[in-house]
Amino acid sequence: MTLEGWVPELSESLTLAEVIDLAFDYRGNTTVVKVDGTEAKGYIFNRSSDAPEPFIQMFDVAGNGPIKILYSEIRNIKFTGRDMAAGNSWQAWLERKEREKAEKAARLGTGPA
Amino acid sequence: MAVPLSQMWTVATYVLKQRLRGLKRYPLVLMLEPLFRCNLTCAGCGKIQYPAQILKKHLTLEQCLKAVDECGAPVVSIPGGEPLMYPSIGELVDALVQRRKYVYLCTNAILLKEKLEQGVFSPSKYLSFSIHMDGLREEHDEAVCRDGVYDKAVEGIKAALTRGFRVTTNTTLFDGANPLRMREFFDEMMKLGVEGMMLSPGYSYSKAPDQEHFLRRSKTHELFSRMLSNPREHWKFNQSPLFLQFLMGQRDYECTPWGNPTFNMFGWQRPCYLLQEGYAESFRDLMENTRWEQYGRKSGNEKCQDCMVHCGYEATAVDDTFSNWKGFKDTVVATLTGKL
Repeated sequence: MTLEGWVPELSESLTLAEVIDLAFDYRGNTTVVKVDGTEAKGYIFNRSSDAPEPFIQMFDVAGNGPIKILYSEIRNIKFTGRDMAAGNSWQAWLERKEREKAEKAARLGTGPA
Repeated sequence: MAVPLSQMWTVATYVLKQRLRGLKRYPLVLMLEPLFRCNLTCAGCGKIQYPAQILKKHLTLEQCLKAVDECGAPVVSIPGGEPLMYPSIGELVDALVQRRKYVYLCTNAILLKEKLEQGVFSPSKYLSFSIHMDGLREEHDEAVCRDGVYDKAVEGIKAALTRGFRVTTNTTLFDGANPLRMREFFDEMMKLGVEGMMLSPGYSYSKAPDQEHFLRRSKTHELFSRMLSNPREHWKFNQSPLFLQFLMGQRDYECTPWGNPTFNMFGWQRPCYLLQEGYAESFRDLMENTRWEQYGRKSGNEKCQDCMVHCGYEATAVDDTFSNWKGFKDTVVATLTGKL
């Protein structure tokens, strides 16, 4: 399951701190929507929730950074970038290999009739 | 056992110095990740799952050396990503050798022959290429999700040995590994002429796409017992024999997550090489402000319950060697007899 494309709806049962934790675990770019209406796109690589002023750190989509944003400046985080941990599994690789073997066998006429 | 005497002596005197200083926590091996970019996309790897702008980035040489000096560990392991893709790899290794750090350059060896032919490296007792080999041809190519990589790695090993470099192998074992095939693999590596082999069970990175093939603790004991019982005389392992005994279930250790601190473009990784719970700005911050009591088996942290990986437990084994006579005696006996 991936969070790719998810736009969280913050509520009592889904807090900003929880969304930040999910964004920190997410292996893709996100869009940080700030309380002043501006947005910052990039990869969130760190969050410190127990600092005197909790913050996140990110590299923007051009790789510039680290950019520090305080929790208090964040309204929401959208999971806009591709989830780089999704897909490309070992299972998928094994299936592809089996498929290639079958195709090769079919080309050589040695496959099952 | 295959760790050279000079390296053993360096590590031994370093550990004893830390103990005499009364330090409870000290680093043994710095895991320096100059980049995450890799020329393979192995399903078991949690290190390469990043957006493009992160994969394109790398540490500067200055950042690497600052981390090395800050940490002070006698051994520096350079994993990644694929470190041979790091543009300053030659300069980095030269600078580490000048600092008399024992360097393990962990590579899949796809680019090794080419880099050696370009003269990027010079042989040194401080430098060892640690070649990623997860088994014989079939098993290795399956583990790295690409055919032909085993042959390429063997080519790299031969090229390095011919030029007088130290070469070791590092092998990660997953569920389903065949102990008999692994014994054949050990024979094959020794036949190639590598100095020694390093083994570790894999760890289930939460972000690794393949979650089904990681070893649980009891299975780890069973696999390593079957693989390493009655070791053949010519097998050499480039790691603590007490750690191997731990993997075989003969010893019970607690994790030493600070033993192999990790530095990369995000900073000092908390708490260890495998878990990414945040980053510290300095090595001191990492050591002093990480809640170490929340990690390791005794902590009850579920992420740590099945972990038996070298980066958490080999430092414990080395510490055991130098913290009591029994540990020292057991290490000496295993080293001299080759028996585990």
